[in-house]
Amino acid sequence: MLTLLRDLRRLRRDLALPRSDRPRSLAIRHVDAGSCNGCEHELTLASGPHYDLQRYGLGIVASPRHADILLVTGTVTTRMREPLLTAYHAMPEPRKVAALGNCALGRNVIGTAANLAGPVSAILPVDLFIPGCPPAPDQIARALLSLIDGSLPAG
Amino acid sequence: MTVTAPVGSAYRDRVAAALAAGWQARSLYAAADGQLVRIALTAADGRSLIETVAADSDGSVPSVADLVPAMAWDEREAHDLHGITFTGHEPMRPLANHSAPLAEWTVPVRGHDPYQVAVGPIHAGVIESGHFRFHVVGDKILHLDARLFYKHRGLERAAEGQPITAALAVVSRACAACTAANGVAYSIAAEQALGLRAAPQLARARALLVELERVWNHLNDIAAVCAGTGMAAGNAWFLALTEQARRLNASLTGHRFLFGSVQVGGSTLTIDAGTVSRCARELAGLRAAAESGWRELEFNASFQDRLGGVGIVAARDCSRLGVVGPAARAAGLAEDARAVSPYPGHDAFRPVTPENAAGDVKDRLGQRMLELRQAFAILEVLLDQGPLLPAEAVVGDAPGPVGFGITESPRGATTCIIERAGDAVRRVRLRTASYANWPAVAHAAAGSLLPDFPLINKSFELCYACADR
Ligand code: SF4
Repeated sequence: MLTLLRDLRRLRRDLALPRSDRPRSLAIRHVDAGSCNGCEHELTLASGPHYDLQRYGLGIVASPRHADILLVTGTVTTRMREPLLTAYHAMPEPRKVAALGNCALGRNVIGTAANLAGPVSAILPVDLFIPGCPPAPDQIARALLSLIDGSLPAG
Repeated sequence: MTVTAPVGSAYRDRVAAALAAGWQARSLYAAADGQLVRIALTAADGRSLIETVAADSDGSVPSVADLVPAMAWDEREAHDLHGITFTGHEPMRPLANHSAPLAEWTVPVRGHDPYQVAVGPIHAGVIESGHFRFHVVGDKILHLDARLFYKHRGLERAAEGQPITAALAVVSRACAACTAANGVAYSIAAEQALGLRAAPQLARARALLVELERVWNHLNDIAAVCAGTGMAAGNAWFLALTEQARRLNASLTGHRFLFGSVQVGGSTLTIDAGTVSRCARELAGLRAAAESGWRELEFNASFQDRLGGVGIVAARDCSRLGVVGPAARAAGLAEDARAVSPYPGHDAFRPVTPENAAGDVKDRLGQRMLELRQAFAILEVLLDQGPLLPAEAVVGDAPGPVGFGITESPRGATTCIIERAGDAVRRVRLRTASYANWPAVAHAAAGSLLPDFPLINKSFELCYACADR
C-alpha cells in the first residue's frame, strides 16, 4: 500500500497539474442517453489522476437533486427520452445542460430513425456543446470549466 | 462454413445433434424479414455451421432455448424486434420491448416478505444506462431481472442495404470499448462472404489492434474492481495506466479508442520503425507499472478479503449459460477464440486459467492480470516484427451469401454474421461477449448481498452499448 501511495504521489508530481484559482464549484449529473460508451470512458478519465477535474471544483454527483449541470452523452434513444426528462426535472434551478460528444450534438449519428428521439437539443435547452468522438478528457475538462468561468464557447 | 437449407420440424433434432457432438451455439437471429431463423454453431477445431429453420405461415418456429439456454436472450430479441413466435419458449418474457407491464418481464418471486429494489436506468455515477430489478429479502438478493436495450439505436437495421465496406462503421460504433474486436469480427465475416481472407500482414495488424484494446480494457477493469471495493488508491493507479494505454493507442493509430483502424479487405495502418520501438518501450513500462500495482493489491488483506467467494458463477453454469471470456476462464473453462482462429502472434496460443478456479470476483479479477501479461507478451512479439505496412486481403474460399466471423474481445468471444445481397448488407448480427454474459451477472447476483452487487457487476464490467446495439 505504501508503495502504491508513493507511486501515485510521484505520478502527481510528474504531472505537475496547476492548482485551481477558481473559488467556485459545480456539481455534474451525467446521463447516458444512448452512447457507444466512448464518451463515458473519457469522462471517467477526466476525473482520473492525469486531469483530476475535482481540483477545479467539478464533481460528478450521484443525484440530479444536487446537480447544477446535466451532462448528456449519446444520441437520445426513444427508450431514454423519458428517463432523461425525469432527471432534468428533478434538478433544482438554476440548471444547465451540456451535450457531450458528437452523438449528443446530432452529428454523424448512426442508427434507425424509429429508435432515436433526436439530439439532446431536440429535447432539452442545451447551454454547452462539447464536440468530439469522443472528446478527450482535457477537452471535456476545458469545456466544463468554461461554465464556471461564465464564458461559453460557441457550439 | 456450412449453411444448411431451411428445414421445418427437423430443426430441433439437428441442433440437438450438433450440441451432442460438441458444437457450441454462438448466435441465433431472425433473417429474411422474419421468414427464417438461423443458429450459428462452432466446433472446437474452429469450423462453423449455420442451421436454418423456415417460419410457419403464422411466423412461428420451434424454440431451442431448452436445449441451449445460452440462446434464450437471442430468441427473446428475435421475438421482440422481428416478430418471431418461438413455440415452447414459455413464458416469452419481453427483452427489448419496454412497453410490457412489469409482471410480464419479471420473474414472479413469492415467499416470506420479498420486496423489489428498482435501480436505473440512470445510475449514480458515470455508468451506462440499464435497469435492474432486484427481488430481495432483507439484504439478500433472491433474483435479479436485468432490463437492457435502453440504448437500442437500431444499429443492425441501419446497416441493411448499405455497402458491406461502409456498414463496418455501424458495427464499429456499437461500442467504444470493444470497437476493434467487433470491427475485426465484422471484417472476417465480410471477407468470408466476399471470398477473401487475411494474409499474415493484415492479420498481424488486426491482432495488434485487438491486443491493444485488451490492454486498456483490462487495466480499466482492474480499476473498476478497486472502485467496487472502495479502494481509491488502486482505482487511481489503474486509471492512470488506462490513460497511458489510451495515449499509446493514439500515438500508434491516431485515435485513443482505435476508431477507424479496422477496414474490410485490408489495412491502411502504417507504423514506422521508430514508432514501433518507442511503443514497445512504453508497453514494457506500462507492464512494469501494472505489475507493481498488482503486487500492492495482492498483499492488501482488507482488499483481498472482499473478493473471495463473492458472486460465484461456477464452470457448469458457465457452460450452461454460454458464458465467454475472462468470466468463463475464471471458472476454469480454458476456452478462447484466439486458440481456434489464430492470428500471427496468437500461434500456439494457450488460454490461461487461475489455479483452483472458483468463478468468483477474486478469480475474475486475477484472470484480468493473467491475460494482461499474455497481451503484453503477444504485443511484444508483434512489435518485434518491425514496421507495420498497409496490407490487402487475398483470395480465399469461394464467395457465398453468408459470412461468419469470430474474435476474442476483452470480454470474450464475439461473433458477427453478415448476409449479403451483392455488395450490400442484407442482414448483420453482432453478438458480443457482453450480450453472452449479461445473464451470468444475474446468476451471480442471486444469493448474494445487495451491497455486493456493484462489486459483482464490476468484476464482469460488461458493456451495455454493445449488448443493446
Ligand atoms: S460521440 Fe463518438 S464516442 Fe461519444 S457516444 Fe458518440 S460515437 Fe461514441
